[in-house]
Amino acid sequence: MATLVLPVEDQRVFVASQWQLMWWRFRKHRLAVASGIVVLGFYGIVVGADFLAYADPNASEAQRSLMPPQSIHWLDGGRFNPHVYAVKGARDPQSFKRVYRADPGEKIPLRFFAEGFEYRFLGLIPTTRHLIGVEPGLDASRAIFVLGTDVQGRDLFSRLMYGTRISLTIGLFGVAASLVLGVVLGGLSGFYGGMTDTLIQRVIEILRSIPTIPLWMGLAAALPREWSVLQIYFAITIIISLLGWTELARVVRGRFLALREEDFVVSARLVGCSEMRTIFVHMVPAFMSHIIAATTLALPAMIISETALSFLGLGLRPPAISWGVLLQHAQNVQTVAISPWLMLPAVPVIIVVMAFNFLGDGLRDAADPY
Amino acid sequence: MRMLRSRRTIALAVAAVGIVAAAGALAQSKSTLIGKLEGPEVVTDAAKFPRTFREAPQLAEQVKAGKLPPVAERIGQDPLVIKPLHEIGKYGGTWRGGFTGPADFWNGYRCCSGPDHLLFWDYTGDKVTPNIAKGYEMQDGGRTLVLHLRRGMKWSDGKPFTADDFVFWFEDIYRNKDLVPTPSAAMAINGKQGVLEKVDTYTVKFKFPEPYYMLPDVLAGSTDLAGQAWRGAFGLGGYAPAHYLKQFHPKYAGQAEVEKKAKDAKFDSWVRMFFNRSDWSLNPELPVITPWKTVTPINTPTWTLERNPYSVFVDPAGNQLPYIDRVVLTLAENLEVINLRAIAGEYDFQARHLDLAKVPVFIENQAKGGYKLYLDPGDYGGDMIIKFNLSYEADPEIAKWMNTTDFRRALALGIDRDQLNETFWLGTGTPSSVVPADNNKYNPGPEYRKLWATLDLKKANEMLDKVGLAKKDAEGFRLRTDGKGRLRLEIMTLGGQFLQFTQIAEMIREQWKKIGIDLVVQEVERSLALQRTAANEQQLGAWNNDGSEHLFTFPTHVFPFDTIAVVASSGPLYAKWFQSAGTQGKEPPARMKELMAKFKRAYGVPEKERIQLGKDVWKITAEEVYIIGVIGMGPASMGVRVVKTNMGNIPSRQYNSPDGKTPTISRPVTFYWK
Amino acid sequence: MLAYIGRRALLAVFTVWAISVLSFAIIQLPPGDYVTSYIAQMASMGSVVTDEEAQNLRIQYGLGQPIYVQYYKWVRLIAQGNFGMSMEWRRPVTEVIGERLWLTVVVSVSALILTWALALPIGIYSAVRQYSVGDYVATFVGFIGLAVPNFLLALVLLYLGFILFNAHIGGLFSPEFQDAPWSAARAWDLAKHLPIPALILGLAGTAQQIRIMRANLLDELRKPYVVTARSKGLSEARVILRYPVRVALNPFASTIGYTLPYIVSGSIIVSLVLGLPTVGPLLLKALIAQDMFLAGTIVLLLGVMTVIGTLISDIVLVWIDPRIRLEDT
Repeated sequence: MATLVLPVEDQRVFVASQWQLMWWRFRKHRLAVASGIVVLGFYGIVVGADFLAYADPNASEAQRSLMPPQSIHWLDGGRFNPHVYAVKGARDPQSFKRVYRADPGEKIPLRFFAEGFEYRFLGLIPTTRHLIGVEPGLDASRAIFVLGTDVQGRDLFSRLMYGTRISLTIGLFGVAASLVLGVVLGGLSGFYGGMTDTLIQRVIEILRSIPTIPLWMGLAAALPREWSVLQIYFAITIIISLLGWTELARVVRGRFLALREEDFVVSARLVGCSEMRTIFVHMVPAFMSHIIAATTLALPAMIISETALSFLGLGLRPPAISWGVLLQHAQNVQTVAISPWLMLPAVPVIIVVMAFNFLGDGLRDAADPY
Repeated sequence: MRMLRSRRTIALAVAAVGIVAAAGALAQSKSTLIGKLEGPEVVTDAAKFPRTFREAPQLAEQVKAGKLPPVAERIGQDPLVIKPLHEIGKYGGTWRGGFTGPADFWNGYRCCSGPDHLLFWDYTGDKVTPNIAKGYEMQDGGRTLVLHLRRGMKWSDGKPFTADDFVFWFEDIYRNKDLVPTPSAAMAINGKQGVLEKVDTYTVKFKFPEPYYMLPDVLAGSTDLAGQAWRGAFGLGGYAPAHYLKQFHPKYAGQAEVEKKAKDAKFDSWVRMFFNRSDWSLNPELPVITPWKTVTPINTPTWTLERNPYSVFVDPAGNQLPYIDRVVLTLAENLEVINLRAIAGEYDFQARHLDLAKVPVFIENQAKGGYKLYLDPGDYGGDMIIKFNLSYEADPEIAKWMNTTDFRRALALGIDRDQLNETFWLGTGTPSSVVPADNNKYNPGPEYRKLWATLDLKKANEMLDKVGLAKKDAEGFRLRTDGKGRLRLEIMTLGGQFLQFTQIAEMIREQWKKIGIDLVVQEVERSLALQRTAANEQQLGAWNNDGSEHLFTFPTHVFPFDTIAVVASSGPLYAKWFQSAGTQGKEPPARMKELMAKFKRAYGVPEKERIQLGKDVWKITAEEVYIIGVIGMGPASMGVRVVKTNMGNIPSRQYNSPDGKTPTISRPVTFYWK
Repeated sequence: MLAYIGRRALLAVFTVWAISVLSFAIIQLPPGDYVTSYIAQMASMGSVVTDEEAQNLRIQYGLGQPIYVQYYKWVRLIAQGNFGMSMEWRRPVTEVIGERLWLTVVVSVSALILTWALALPIGIYSAVRQYSVGDYVATFVGFIGLAVPNFLLALVLLYLGFILFNAHIGGLFSPEFQDAPWSAARAWDLAKHLPIPALILGLAGTAQQIRIMRANLLDELRKPYVVTARSKGLSEARVILRYPVRVALNPFASTIGYTLPYIVSGSIIVSLVLGLPTVGPLLLKALIAQDMFLAGTIVLLLGVMTVIGTLISDIVLVWIDPRIRLEDT
């Protein structure tokens, strides 16, 4: 019988490192890869929110309240000259709605890298350049509102950019906190077993049995109201993460339990490695991929929690801008019936949550390449 | 360049014309939603009373079956005759509405309590007329008020309604320290309590040591003497069904007996049980004199009220009122659901909990829902006001500025009211100082409407510079004079109210940037707001001053009056001083003391002098700007009304006021199904 | 086996006690108490409650005492089968909850059924056709429920229901059936109101179940017996459905235990938006008003449901898979 000779690619499998194997496996999950790109794109927005926004997110103006999204016309008589029409509006006396009419005779040219309100890029460099804009100094009826405006006449697109920044970073802090708690407590639980394990398991069970909303309400209501928006922001992330760590702890514990009896761990102990060394040098890398996967899956839960908290009036409050705050403003009948564009912040929420989920799934599928 | 300028000019001109045209059209359109003030009248001329009576068919059946006495006997000799707004109505039907839970008792009181006040307002909200009492006289220089009750009038279980019910209330409830630990300010003049006495079976008398000319207004308004339905559950109201409540009272049933009853019914004490049994919204067995009585209580998913067979209300043709048989209020714990149900036409007459911002959606669905939308603006000057806490102490620098009159005036000038009016009131409000509507009898004069209530950035900035806040930081915010950085003010708002106070405050925050003031907006929930106000910790508070159109029966939002106030108090320590006659709290500054003195005096003087005192009170408030008026006379607070098109005797505009218990001031007993 | 059940049951009791303490503590966290909330409400409607009246109320409601005394009172009441009086509703807690509890269960069970109806086929398809376009589409559909903010979706559906179908807004019964006695017509009315809540709630849980189903099935499909079955010539459908799916369902089925309470607490917000007469909105209002006994009882109830559910799940799991028993020692 002749020995099988595998093609070169498959031979690579035998000598590839753990991470390389994971990457190849991950690549097979096309949706996960696409999601990864989407996620990176969103974090790009987080960094460049000020640049992408073209209007001051807090600048209110009653005369442009509840403007529907404007269409950008890219061609002007055959030439590439992006522009919008000037829009005038008033409250219709019969229907009481604000009605806006675009004036095709008046074209406002769109500029790229235009000058707008001042901000500090990356928190350091003061500048006034934004991705798009119009000639500075024009009045309220001659501006762009790509996604329309809200009740106070504030540009929705710019607010959405800033909202993205806060919502996606809040998730990170919360997840980091969950991660620390989950790994530490799950690890202790799995590694030592016995009494420690039982105790921690009970705590987890208790925490999981209590409905989350009363817990949030109780904790959020106990926050001193004198705190600034920023301080409340951090407190909220901690509160959310207080419940999120249980899932991660379970995974970690499970992994520890499984690995405890593995040959390489036993041999490490026999050789004389300290416990710390055994844990961090030998065991943790073995399930790092699982951690990554679980963490990625925890992030969308954070985001959804933030929107839920805002709905309850417990989360971020105006003047802070987050997806939750924007959705809270849209959570009413008049928005659904008359100004539905205010519900657009739900779209990035959906996209990001789905993307993180697929990404996480792909990572988890790839996590155990052996 | 020139082309651009001319284009711009033309555009501006067009815009200006457009705005004028729109404003004109808006003013006209406001009238399609805002009607003419009208309402039914109480017939007081006994000669015009009907002699024969008719009743609802189902009651007639019961009379035939021998279960009820004949209608004439049930009404008595002195019916309360109400002339319907448009025509005599027909019996029958159900009136559907929505309420939000066991805390929403205002809902039922406002629609279905009659009212059962001894005296009440006419539909203009201006004049006091007889109601349950058929007449009254002031005697002895205003020290005594004699009330004549209606002969033969009965409670809803058929027992007579007489002066004994008043005596029982006064002697056994009001004076019982377990039931009413603190005597009510409504029963006192200049701090001295009065007494309530029986003259004969159908006559009672209030007696006070000093003249109390305000008493008729107090009996008509929403005060502690405003009838059993409103205040019975607190041991107040002026009268109570003695024959029923005696069984729960230790003096008549014995201490041990009432305690045992309470324990068996799982109450913490006999007092709790007594109040539970006196609660018009909770106890279907309570005898009442309201036109509808509770059948399924407020703490169930459906609060149902049915006609009271012994109702003393009739129309001029002798038909016993109400026309409508039953009122059904269904529970919806979410305001969006209530609004959506109103939009869908699931309610027949609803004015409570409806959101002004949804007016376009209401209009859109009028045909589909079979209803018409009305707007009832209030007569009070502040649909939205901002109160300064003048007795604030926690931060001396802030306290100093809050007590500087020109500082407050400058802040008032920094608010762009037109912007707020357009955004949050859809243009239906009136930018105004705190003074009530022009036709209100206490209005100090048209020049006070806009006093310190316009947008004048130049003047505001000048004034702030002049008082000593000229130094600003790099971002243009004024600096404190004690060197601790930026001058920052905090405003407390409540979420989930009839108005979007938080959002309005946000807009004001942006506006005040232009005068260099940094405003921090803090939305809090009610309990926390109460605690902070009580602890004198709040700086500014946003609220509305509804009720202030009846200055003397509802002064809560005019000056520091209540020691307990939610969100906004103009000075808790001053309120304490006022309520304790100077023994507690902190002494207010001179001008406020002047205001308080005038206010107090008004209770004991005849009407003409009282009106002048009222005007003076408003004058001082408007000049000193203790409270910033933002937008007034708007319909945001219970002024958005939907009514089915086939409901009759509906006014095109009603007096929107807490004292008027709107819509009771429009006498829902006369509403009927066409 | 019995020892295991016994041990777990004992631990469960301890957990329930801990939950009761924790729920009581949480209710007390916000500043003030019911009387504060009550005064605030009164004041915002123009009625003044003086300090003496407030004191009186506190004494009457027993709120003046320290927390551990109140807790002890509560536990004693529970031992007698009485869960206390709701201060807001002025009725015994059992009455206030009782009406709503079984409605909550009905809604949650409907949501659960919908979840399974969606998750099972998608999970199976996804495992069988891994990485295919169909897999992605199916998973996409399954995950949408997780991603869409469900309170917004609820409001939109409510509005669309009215605009398109003239549906009665929210709630679980039309007004005429709200208090009516049970009948076929009332049951049908309830059924008519269930689709929207079940859809929104069911969609949210679908993603998790798809994942579990898919992961389990993938594990099974890699096992040797499947290869054997295939090589023996069984049709693909029979290969999959006959055994692997049933085995994959086992751990799936054991998750029922805690899925139900999960759905119940997850439905709080949606119930509020849709105006459903379930336990969720009741709990929210009780928390805001600090209606101690009502809020505490509901939280305790939900907690107990979860504990019992987990207990059942674990027992079922152990019964199926002896390896876990060993792991737990």
